[in-house]
Amino acid sequence: MQKRVCKQWSQLFLVLILVMGLRQASAQTLQFVHAVGNAPLVLFDSVYYNRFGEPFVVNKFKYYISGIELTDDKQSTTSLSDKYFLINEEDSASKIITLPIKHNLRKISFLIGVDSARNVSGVQTGSLDPMNAMFWTWNSGYVFAKLEGQSEVSPAPQHSFSWHVGGFRQKENALRRITLELPPDGNLDTLRIKADLLQWFDALRPLKIAITPVCHQPGELATRLADNYARMFSVLQ
Amino acid sequence: MKGRIIILVISLTLAGIAWVDIASKPKPLPFVVPKGWPKPQYDFSKNPLTDEGFELGRKLFYDEKLSKDSTISCASCHQQFGAFATYDHNLSHGYNNSLTTRNAPSLQNLAWQKAFMWDGGITHLDLQPLAPLTAPNEMGETIDRVIKKISRDTAYRRMFKAAFGNQPINTKLTMMALSQYMLLLVSSNSKYDQVMRGEASFNLPEKLGYEIFNQKCTGCHPPPFFTDFSYRNTGLRLDTTLNDSGRMKITRESKDSMAFKVPSLRNVALTFPYGHDGRFFSLYNVYDHYRSKMNVSKQTDSLLQKKLPISNYETGQLTAFLRTLTDSSFIKNPMFAPPGYDVTPDFMNLH
Repeated sequence: MQKRVCKQWSQLFLVLILVMGLRQASAQTLQFVHAVGNAPLVLFDSVYYNRFGEPFVVNKFKYYISGIELTDDKQSTTSLSDKYFLINEEDSASKIITLPIKHNLRKISFLIGVDSARNVSGVQTGSLDPMNAMFWTWNSGYVFAKLEGQSEVSPAPQHSFSWHVGGFRQKENALRRITLELPPDGNLDTLRIKADLLQWFDALRPLKIAITPVCHQPGELATRLADNYARMFSVLQ
Repeated sequence: MKGRIIILVISLTLAGIAWVDIASKPKPLPFVVPKGWPKPQYDFSKNPLTDEGFELGRKLFYDEKLSKDSTISCASCHQQFGAFATYDHNLSHGYNNSLTTRNAPSLQNLAWQKAFMWDGGITHLDLQPLAPLTAPNEMGETIDRVIKKISRDTAYRRMFKAAFGNQPINTKLTMMALSQYMLLLVSSNSKYDQVMRGEASFNLPEKLGYEIFNQKCTGCHPPPFFTDFSYRNTGLRLDTTLNDSGRMKITRESKDSMAFKVPSLRNVALTFPYGHDGRFFSLYNVYDHYRSKMNVSKQTDSLLQKKLPISNYETGQLTAFLRTLTDSSFIKNPMFAPPGYDVTPDFMNLH
């Protein structure tokens, strides 16, 4: 009797070790690295220039990453469809995401923003809690991405510029999916993805601080900004 | 023998845990749909009503601490004796002597509403309180600080535990509790309702008014809610100090310019002033608007393209009928009064 119990325990222990070992081997970390062109992003202190020669300081940079899909070299895809990450420059821990997938990733794809279902089904929790100040309370919906700062060319109060992008309804959908191919030797523990803020101004459509310093609602300006920032990500080698 | 004792001890412990668990379970609170009314829009399965949840919601609703300077609660602008609108105020008063840009709507029969605010910008009842809590000209607080204040308060911690168990206090639970209180604000016992149920009868002016109402008003204000919850342009001129274009702010479509939600006429005798910005001080101002002062344009509702003829004679009877929509059992129900009171005390009605 005692022997049998012993055996069962040891089997359980073995399984536990195996599970833990597997988990460790399959952990891969995704890290977002924020930059302005080739310079690292430093909030408040550094003055940067966009391609129109407009000087600016960045005070806030946050965005939602969701709907992550990971494809490995055998073309099998894992999706993290119910996970929503709020990446915030102020909080370095938020820029690191642990992925539950084996090595040999070939492709990563993700959404910037929050799908429409979560925009219309009441109050959410965790990273989607409206207390994270990424929610429009007067016109229900998430702010998908925020870039705020100051620029002497801005005609807005305090020479600020404030771009809050969101919108999940038809005709004003600002949700964008980004797909990045990974280098074939991408067998690293940490996959580093660069987000280049300069792309917000002109990746597809020119948007000058001097002309449109404020975006605080869904609509045309928001979708233009989304088209631009959808091109800000690249894989760091 | 030893084994049996162990089994006995274990089963007694389990029974004890189960008993404690049952004892601390919140008590379900029924939501009664008045006879003949449609199915509510609100999904009660996601937020089952309980005594404890309702009590927590009631405390939150009356708590001034939720505002930035602890002076304004939800109830400041939604007063029970005014059918949960602001009595005799065109625009509500907010944090630090600010004015809002709209007239606080009465809170009643919210379980049947799909969207909230005069422009329908808010798509779920649970999300609604976040707007007044955070607007700088209303309660002026951040959601983060509201949750911090609540979490620090031992009475709240106890009440959250009673209502929602050991879940951490967060925005979602706080809003669910407020919804539980607001969902029970059902007004369905006015004289009109009693007449419809065969428990009372209209006097002559009320009866004549009811006939006029059915002829001229139910296109937009059909019973049982006395609104069809649509957004319509009723020929209001833009107030250039408020610049409120209504529904267009949400849809950004010019066809919605100056369209506002059709308000419910239940308890209408108590919810003056009228209109999204409270520009009409009495029912007579409203009649005058519809019969002569309207600014008819392309966007004006098709039912009002020729304005709405109402004779002097009819205004009196309409008013008599509209007064039958006052539900005194609703405005005096002690269940909706501040915690510890049967009626809202005067000192809470300073705004």
